[in-house]
Amino acid sequence: MEWRLFANLAETAGTKRVEVAAEPGDTFGEAFDRLLETHPELREEILDEDGDIRDHIRVLRNDSNPFVVDDGYDTVLEADDDLALFPPVSGG
Amino acid sequence: MQTVAICGPGADALTARLVAALPGRVGVVRQVAEDGGPASASRPASADTTYRLDADRWHATGDDPSLRDAIERLAPDHDHALAVEFTGADLPTVAVGGADPPGTVVAEVADADAPVDDLVATIEDVEPFETVESLVAEVKRAPDAHRSGAIATFTGRVRAQDDPDDDRTQYLEFEKYEAVAADRMRTIETELAEREGVFEVRLHHRTGVIPDGEDIVFVVVLAGHREEAFRTVEDGINRLKDEVPIFKKEVTEAETFWVHERE
Repeated sequence: MEWRLFANLAETAGTKRVEVAAEPGDTFGEAFDRLLETHPELREEILDEDGDIRDHIRVLRNDSNPFVVDDGYDTVLEADDDLALFPPVSGG
Repeated sequence: MQTVAICGPGADALTARLVAALPGRVGVVRQVAEDGGPASASRPASADTTYRLDADRWHATGDDPSLRDAIERLAPDHDHALAVEFTGADLPTVAVGGADPPGTVVAEVADADAPVDDLVATIEDVEPFETVESLVAEVKRAPDAHRSGAIATFTGRVRAQDDPDDDRTQYLEFEKYEAVAADRMRTIETELAEREGVFEVRLHHRTGVIPDGEDIVFVVVLAGHREEAFRTVEDGINRLKDEVPIFKKEVTEAETFWVHERE
C-alpha cells in the first residue's frame, strides 16, 4: 500500500509517497502503524499525547474519511486503495 | 485551454504538425528576433496597440510584449495554445531533439518527425490554463445561456500586504491532492448548479508558484438573476476553501511558512 503525504507532513517525512508493507485484506490501522514505523518523525505531528490522531489532521482512504464512512482503524483495505494524510486545507 | 511550451531543435516544425493534429481552435505564440520580422516592420510608432483588419484575418501589434499576456488573450476562445521556443515560461513543456529546458517537461520528442498521437494525448491531459475571462466565455457557451441574465465571478489573488506594516509576500506556492481536489471541485460545481435559477458553475485553482499580484482561484456562476448569482459565487469560494485538499505555503521577504500553521 502507498501513503500520500502533503504539505508539512511531506516535508517532515522528506517524501510525498511512502510504500508500506500492507496488503489488501490488512486493516487501515495496520497500514497506519507501518507508516509511523517507517517514519517515526511523523508521530509528533500526527498524534496527540494520548496517541490519537490530532483533530486537525485529515485522513483519507480514497475520497473519504475511514473514521466517518468505514470502520476506522478496522477498515479492511482493498486493492488500489489510495491512503492519504494531510493538514488542514488552505486553498484560495 | 490546454497550453504547453515547445522547445528545442525542430520546435517550429513540430508545432506546425501539432496545429494540424490538435482538435478545436489552436493559438500559437512565437518569439520574433529583435532585428526584424513582420511584427516590428508593420508597427506605427505613434500607437500603443494597432489592429489591422482585412476581409478575413486580423493582425495586431502592441507594446510591452509578454508571453503570459498573449496566452491570457488566447484563453477565452481557444482550446489549445502552443508557446514556441519560450524557455523558463512556467508552462508544461515539450522538449524536442534532446533539449533540456528548465521547468516541468511533460514530454520528450526525438525530433520534429516523431508521431504526435501520444503528444496530443499528453497535451489534453495537462492542467488547463484558465482566466476569469476564459471561464466567463465558457459559461456563456452553455446550452442554458439564453436564460441567464447574470454572471457573477470571484477572483482570489496573491495579496502582497494585508496591513501597511506587513512584510511583503513575494509568492504563494500551492500543492494539490490532484485526484481528490478535482473530484471535490466537480462535486461542488454540480451541487451548486442544481440550485433553482443557477445554470453553470466553474471553479478553477492554479497550483505551483504564484507571484504577488497574480490570480490564484476563480469562481464563475451563470444564473438567471443577480441574487442567486451572488449567493452561489460566495458559497462556491467558501466551499472550495473548506473542502478541497489544496495547501498554501507563503514566502514573504522575511520568512517561509505553511499558512494553515498560522491560522
